[in-house]
Amino acid sequence: MRSSEEQLRAMMVAGLGGDQQAHASLLTALVPLLRAFYRRRIRDAEDDAEDLVQETLIAVHDRRASYDRNRAFTAWLYAIARYKLVDHFRRRRRFCPIEGLSDILVTEGFEDASAAALDVQRLLEDLPAKQARLIRDTKLEGLSVSEAARSARVGKSDVKVSVHRGLKALAARIRGGVS
Amino acid sequence: MITEELIRVLASDVRAVPRHAVGQRITLGMVAGASISLLLVGGVVGIRPDLDVAMRDFSFWVRCAYAVTLGLGAILTTASLARPESMRPRGLWLVGVPVLLLMGIGIAEMAYASPHEWQALWLGRAWRACPWLILLLSVPIFAGLLWSFHQFAPARPRAAGAAAGLAAGAWSAALYCLHCPEVSAVYVLTWFSLGIGLAAAIGAMLGRPLLRW
Repeated sequence: MRSSEEQLRAMMVAGLGGDQQAHASLLTALVPLLRAFYRRRIRDAEDDAEDLVQETLIAVHDRRASYDRNRAFTAWLYAIARYKLVDHFRRRRRFCPIEGLSDILVTEGFEDASAAALDVQRLLEDLPAKQARLIRDTKLEGLSVSEAARSARVGKSDVKVSVHRGLKALAARIRGGVS
Repeated sequence: MITEELIRVLASDVRAVPRHAVGQRITLGMVAGASISLLLVGGVVGIRPDLDVAMRDFSFWVRCAYAVTLGLGAILTTASLARPESMRPRGLWLVGVPVLLLMGIGIAEMAYASPHEWQALWLGRAWRACPWLILLLSVPIFAGLLWSFHQFAPARPRAAGAAAGLAAGAWSAALYCLHCPEVSAVYVLTWFSLGIGLAAAIGAMLGRPLLRW
């Protein structure tokens, strides 16, 4: 099974605390992610992709001091992977467009970790608690309206109205922030 | 080597990493480098003999404040570039603040002086040596910062090198204040900044070859 940001981050933080077991599990969990990342981008050379996976694991290990426990782990991970990929193409003197970090996080299925998600969290903090919670449940966590209604102990129509009002307020705030 | 084996080898060497590892290592590298620079100021460049008198003068503190605030801004930028996910040099705008303030003081100073004094204000007595001495004193600090980058992952080695060079230059200028006999703000703005700028430029050139990983 694919690991989530939270799982990876928990292992990373434990590893930073000196937990060998957690660190080994982290590196093992990264292998499929990194293989997918490199194979998708270097289709013709399987060996190169595996070399890059290993180089990235070494970098993750050697340079883990550069990870900030308060930030998204996958953003850090894919920034390293991206750097190694750029370096690989540079050594081959091949020119090849490489997406920015936030696009990579979306492609690899970790969009929560990108800065956009952080902004949403910040915006939600400004809303009334009930609206923020229901938006988080239905729009970010992916609960259905009835599930959200049950967990928040409110009516289904209340959920719909709160989400609607909350989103409207958010949209107004974003527009206000831009102009 | 197969990947599973690599992981076993890597995981056999897991030391705890302190929470603020980046800040700690940068501070350690800088302090180590700056102590060598300080020894150079004391032993080779020479501390000005009338330092206690000079310290009562406003211009002495202007110079110090200029170098120290530049150094703080540059070190923040350096620390942000130590992490792979930060592509933009954060905190760089802070560096502009002391430059603008000193420009203001310099303009005021020139407005009070008569035009035929301007050249003396600008060149002082030591302008030929000043930028080079600042560059020289920045070398140990830069080396200390390079050491701290061993455990970092700068995704933009050249920018990180430039920021480290800027920080090294600014802190070296702060130490150089102990020697510098000049008083005018235009002097500091020109020759201090030239030395600091040279350090940053050389740092940028060395960033790619030395900070790659």
